[in-house]
Amino acid sequence: MNTVLSRANSLFAFSLSVMAALTFGCFVTTAFKDRTVPVDIQVSRVMLKNVDDFTGPKERSDLGFITFDVTADLRPIFDWNVKQLFLYLSAEYETKNNALNQVVLWDKIILRGENTNLSLKDMKSKYFFFDDGNGLRGNKNITLTLSWNVVPNAGILPLVMGSGHTSVPFPDAYEATKSY
Amino acid sequence: MRYSTVCCRNVLGEKQYRLAVFRMLPFLKSISTHMDYKGQKLAEQIFQGIILVSAVIGFIYGFITEQFGWTVYIVLAGFAVSCLLTLPPWPMYRRNPLKWQSVQSEISAPEMIIKEKPVENTKKSKKHK
Repeated sequence: MNTVLSRANSLFAFSLSVMAALTFGCFVTTAFKDRTVPVDIQVSRVMLKNVDDFTGPKERSDLGFITFDVTADLRPIFDWNVKQLFLYLSAEYETKNNALNQVVLWDKIILRGENTNLSLKDMKSKYFFFDDGNGLRGNKNITLTLSWNVVPNAGILPLVMGSGHTSVPFPDAYEATKSY
Repeated sequence: MRYSTVCCRNVLGEKQYRLAVFRMLPFLKSISTHMDYKGQKLAEQIFQGIILVSAVIGFIYGFITEQFGWTVYIVLAGFAVSCLLTLPPWPMYRRNPLKWQSVQSEISAPEMIIKEKPVENTKKSKKHK
């Protein structure tokens, strides 16, 4: 501690240790918080096509088109340890080939400070709703859920499913639309 | 006492600066930044106290306003204040200087070795005979 550099070294190292302890404290205050909120999903239109899927095996697969509304108030999730939320809408269903299929249809990133009241109407899906085969036609039960990944400042990234889901059946014929 | 990495002594006892900045800007060598021992202890207590207090204030403020950024800013402000208070050698850190002994006339170390050698040589030559 006799020279400036020695004092500066000591001071800087101490500051960094204190900063690390504060970050850990920030993580501890929000580690056990419940991050689910109620979510309302409505489906307005469903259409089905049978097209060549170039990414899969060489046979025609089912392609679905869904138009939906999402309403959710995400304000309670944001606290001092949340940097952004990654939301995604996924469809889950069962077919003859597979016991469980999950497809992500749409996603959105919400940064802290942006509008947290989600109220989206007549949204089209961002990603193709391809099935592994022809399992969508006449499928009685396709469940849509909104989930999110909480990106924190310090700590673990929890994957949370919103409470509230909607189930819709798909039409029996191709190119036929069903309105709800 | 911590080992200084800024300057050291070479084989001949000359003071040598290790950091390149002292070779590039020689006027920096003349700025003395030492503190006496009680001053060093006081400086350490001051900066640890300031940073801990700013950490507590920052944590509480960040928790209330729900922004961790404010916690970081307050700790950085505490760091800046303690830099100002403890890095330069203020007079309050030099109030207990060490009491050195008075200067005695002494022969420097290399001279002593040279003076002893001739005596050893004559002793050796006598033995061989």
